[in-house]
Amino acid sequence: MAKTILAVDDSGSLRQMVSFSLQAAGYNVVQAVDGQDGLNKAKEKTVDLVLTDQNMPIMDGLTLIKNLRGLGSYQKVPILMLTTESSDEMKAKGKAAGANGWLVKPFDPKRLIEVVQKVIG
Amino acid sequence: MESRTLPVSELRLLLTGVSEHGAQHLIEVEADLMQTTFLLSEAIEKLGASFMAIHEAVTNQQQELEVFMARNEWSKEDVKKLDGFKQKIGEEVNAAVTGLQFQDLTSQLIARTIRRVNGLKELLSVLASHGQEIDAEHEHKEIAKLLEEMNHSLSTRSNALEGGLRRAVNQQDMGSGEIELF
Repeated sequence: MAKTILAVDDSGSLRQMVSFSLQAAGYNVVQAVDGQDGLNKAKEKTVDLVLTDQNMPIMDGLTLIKNLRGLGSYQKVPILMLTTESSDEMKAKGKAAGANGWLVKPFDPKRLIEVVQKVIG
Repeated sequence: MESRTLPVSELRLLLTGVSEHGAQHLIEVEADLMQTTFLLSEAIEKLGASFMAIHEAVTNQQQELEVFMARNEWSKEDVKKLDGFKQKIGEEVNAAVTGLQFQDLTSQLIARTIRRVNGLKELLSVLASHGQEIDAEHEHKEIAKLLEEMNHSLSTRSNALEGGLRRAVNQQDMGSGEIELF
């Protein structure tokens, strides 16, 4: 059965490119437009991996991760940040919040798939 | 010796003029940036839709060719040539997906610039906001005080503006970013 990935990003074009890349590699993708939407969708159905942006309206990526890690069903689900942010300070915050990896935009689809496969198979 | 100062009314007029003209130009800058955001947004929507349609058509074409190849005997050379095309298409699709992310980066930069423009408009309003009467007997001292207050106000607002404008996009090109697993 295909694994499901929750892609959270306020940019429609980015969500489209992420979904296109992941679906081409055989994954199911659930899209969310911000952290709050991501949290709601994550509660509806536990996914195999969360891929989230950082800077979004309503709820940012770090807050989303902290909220997800507070849910029993998401304590061990891999969460990757996909963001324009590239500073060591932000990466450290992501790691402290519970992120499992950090990908700086723009992403290369081939490398994204390699990372996703490494994390969830 | 009598100290010479700028006439107060002219000074106020000058500062108000700087404020109003500056604000007017910044309004135009903001309007242009908003228009750019709108055009980029529409462009990426159309590019994305075209990209998806082209990719779907090429995928269908490849599948048809594979069916055709299975039914007919193709030379090894032709099969190799077609595999080469398929690989090249895959590479170009990946490059296009990376390139098509430009709008996410540029829209963040434009949004930051618009916030800075709005902050500058507020800063300029400081120049026109000091309307208190100036005592003619102590004109020199009063003008110096007025300018010092304005300077302080500008500095405070400028620092506050800078503090609220953290740079989230440092990319200088559209090459793919680094990946780190924790």
